[in-house]
Amino acid sequence: MNLRRLLPALLVGVAIGVLIFLLRMTQSVDSELHLQRLDNLQAVNTLDVQFNRVLTQAHVAALMTEGDERAVLTEQLGDVLDKLDTGKQSLHGLSPELDQALDEFLDTIKDKVLLGLDFQARTTQDNQRLLNSASSVPVKVDAAVAAATPAVRAKARDLGDQLKAQVVQLSVTPSPTNQSDIHALVDALDQLGAGQPAAYKDAMAQLRFAADDVIQDKGELVGTLRKFLDRPTGPQLQKVEQQYSAWYAAQVAIAGKYRLALVAYAAVLLGVLGWLGLRLRGSYRDLDRANAGLTRANETLEAQVESRTHDLSAALQDLRSSQAQLVQSEKMASLGQMVAGVAHEINTPLGYARSNTEIVRNSLADVRGLCLAQQKALSLLAAPDASEAEIATAMEEAEAQSQALSPEELMGDLHGLLQDTDHGLGQISELVSSLKDFSRVDRSRTDLFGVNDGIDSALKICQNQLKGRVEVIKQYGELPQIECSPSQLNQVFLNLFTNAAQAIDGNGRIYVHTLVEDGGVGVRILDTGCGMSEDVRSRIFEPFFTTKPVGKGTGLGLSIVFRIIEEHGGRIDVRSTPGKGSEFVIHLPLRQKRSVDTAHEAAPAAVAA
Amino acid sequence: MTSASNVTAAKARVLFVDDEPRVLTTMRMLFRAHYEVYFAEGGPQALELLRKQPVDVVVSDQRMPGMSGIELLRAARELNPNAMRILLTGYSDLNAIIGSINEGEIFRFVNKPWSNEDLSTTVARAVTAARASAALTTRVSEAPAVPAGPLPAVLVMDDDERVPAQIQAILGSECRVFGATTMSEAVDLLEREHIGVVISDTRVQDHPVVNLIGTLKQHHPELVSVILTERADAGAAIDLINQGQIYRFITKPIIDNACKITVNSALKQHERLTHSPELHQRYEVAQTAEPSPPTSGSGRLLDRIRSLRSWVTRRA
Repeated sequence: MNLRRLLPALLVGVAIGVLIFLLRMTQSVDSELHLQRLDNLQAVNTLDVQFNRVLTQAHVAALMTEGDERAVLTEQLGDVLDKLDTGKQSLHGLSPELDQALDEFLDTIKDKVLLGLDFQARTTQDNQRLLNSASSVPVKVDAAVAAATPAVRAKARDLGDQLKAQVVQLSVTPSPTNQSDIHALVDALDQLGAGQPAAYKDAMAQLRFAADDVIQDKGELVGTLRKFLDRPTGPQLQKVEQQYSAWYAAQVAIAGKYRLALVAYAAVLLGVLGWLGLRLRGSYRDLDRANAGLTRANETLEAQVESRTHDLSAALQDLRSSQAQLVQSEKMASLGQMVAGVAHEINTPLGYARSNTEIVRNSLADVRGLCLAQQKALSLLAAPDASEAEIATAMEEAEAQSQALSPEELMGDLHGLLQDTDHGLGQISELVSSLKDFSRVDRSRTDLFGVNDGIDSALKICQNQLKGRVEVIKQYGELPQIECSPSQLNQVFLNLFTNAAQAIDGNGRIYVHTLVEDGGVGVRILDTGCGMSEDVRSRIFEPFFTTKPVGKGTGLGLSIVFRIIEEHGGRIDVRSTPGKGSEFVIHLPLRQKRSVDTAHEAAPAAVAA
Repeated sequence: MTSASNVTAAKARVLFVDDEPRVLTTMRMLFRAHYEVYFAEGGPQALELLRKQPVDVVVSDQRMPGMSGIELLRAARELNPNAMRILLTGYSDLNAIIGSINEGEIFRFVNKPWSNEDLSTTVARAVTAARASAALTTRVSEAPAVPAGPLPAVLVMDDDERVPAQIQAILGSECRVFGATTMSEAVDLLEREHIGVVISDTRVQDHPVVNLIGTLKQHHPELVSVILTERADAGAAIDLINQGQIYRFITKPIIDNACKITVNSALKQHERLTHSPELHQRYEVAQTAEPSPPTSGSGRLLDRIRSLRSWVTRRA
């Protein structure tokens, strides 16, 4: 994976690297630099020649006025040599041969320059000596001529003049060849000396010395110049040039090769690029196709999503309505349970009340018969024309009926029956008013409500589940009225009591404890029922969780309780010990937040609503 | 009332059980003239009384603290099997009703509030039946118990055709099982075959079977009916007790063992009834207040059922 992504990048890097390398290699022949270098070499050559010329002239000239020019030349030469030696235009480090030739040349020319510097001093000195010795020659000649006898005086004068001319020629000629002529003239003058006074001979000896000095001095001067001029800067520079040219040619050749390689490489790259382009075009075509497909798919997808969304929202709607239905069915279930209890509670008094009324009605027929008989007897008694026998019969009849009925007993019984009936009707009306209290149909949704009263009416409603089996122990605190939906709270209590009653198998007790808590009221409902495991306890407020057999409970009762308490801004907790019982602890706030009003609207209606 | 003549000899004993004493007062006023009446305010008290003094009829409330009416009647049946059992209740859920059939084998189910006349009639019938069978029990011990001839067959009426096969499988091959999906089919079978037990759903082809079963029971008291259903409802079950004298009420899905026990017990009951016609009164059905609407189909069927009598008498 990683390698696959790395490989193309690596390839591109390598390709670019190769390209740069090739480019550099072709660029390695810098023609400008090359020209500069050639110029430098040329300049060196020119300067060298000028230098030679200057020194040669200096040698010839008596007055060393060329010193300035030479200094300028030296400086220029130094600059150019520096360029050759170091810096960008240097010829160093190009090839070993070139280095060697260059070093040789540089050494030589340095020597030469140094020699040039020395040269000035020496030539000045030599020239001075030459001038001295040359100027002493005419003096010696004139002295010799003066000492000569008059016979040879003319001859000596002539020879002396020639000698003078020869010495001057020697002095001014850069490379004089007349040394032998001077020697010959001195020898000729010396030959004239035979027979001449000693003064002549003495002067002649001095002249010979002077002439030798002049020749020697000139020779030294020429030697110095030769030594300078003989420095092989020219050939060496030529060699450097050759070596450089050879190197340059080699470089050019290499560059040519690289250029070729570059061209080939470029061709290859172009090929690759073309291939890539083709592939890219193909890819683009594929991409376009895929894109078109995607667009199409996207359109259908949108349609699908839309239909799914529609389905989902429909499903959600279904779910909501089925949830509402479930809540409704739970309400109906608890309503059914309540009705079962209430029906029994009502039907029993109704049963005996109705039966009693019937009995009383039937008895009244007998009583009426007795009354009629007695009345008849009485009216006969009162009637003046009634016979004794008639009266006796009527009396007997009345008496017989009275005995059969035993009115005292009957009246007592009837009274008892009517009392029972009264009691039964009272019970029924009490129950009905409890129901009314419980449902609070005549009260507004949010109302001030005494929690204790709610608990009482809930207990009355589920009395049939508790009666004779479960003892309810109440411990009510003095509670302030709280703001709530009474019918919903009644439902809560009824649910909790029903659960408690169901949890109690056989006889048991339910403790109800109400108390004032900070900011509200607390209700504790504790039963001595079967309790529940921690697992069950943690789930009892979940909708549809039930421990009752299938069809017995919807599993919504406690979840509705939880919701109602939550909507009232209260809390409900449960503690339980399996086998010992459970305790539900409810806290309800005194006042509702305003938003609760609307929450109540959404909340399920009360059981009996 | 038929009871009037019976009462004269020795007053029948009737026990009333209710946790509301005023109901007992009313009962005293209603029945003290005709019967020797006993009262109890709860199950345990009633059982105590029964142990000392057997009675002919027990009338009990269903919802009582501590012990329900069904529990009491089941216990009473063991203590005093001859006593007829009547449940008098203000409200009962289906389970209570099914329990009263299967465990209490009750004679009637009477709702509160009751009509004095109906209650009196019901109690009188119960007394008659109890008296008749009491005479029997004294000699039933020496009566030959083993029947001759083939075992009576079982007729299954159910919309679902698989049910007869399922029951045949449960009962095994020694018992013949016939299936019917319509009432006329059922009557055909009843004409042709020797049927001892009828197993039926509460409705067949969307007609309630209570009339059929009631008519069968009325004219052929030795036939024993068992209801097998998944659509139980309290009202229908009460009707089936009072008008059909159904012997058992079982709910689907069928549990093999329970079903087998029930059907075997029903066959035995049939046996008993066949051999002791005196017992028939114990399973007498209540006349419906108004006769079933004479819809052409069912009316003819009921006529045919009545005519089955000849077959029954011939067989007997």
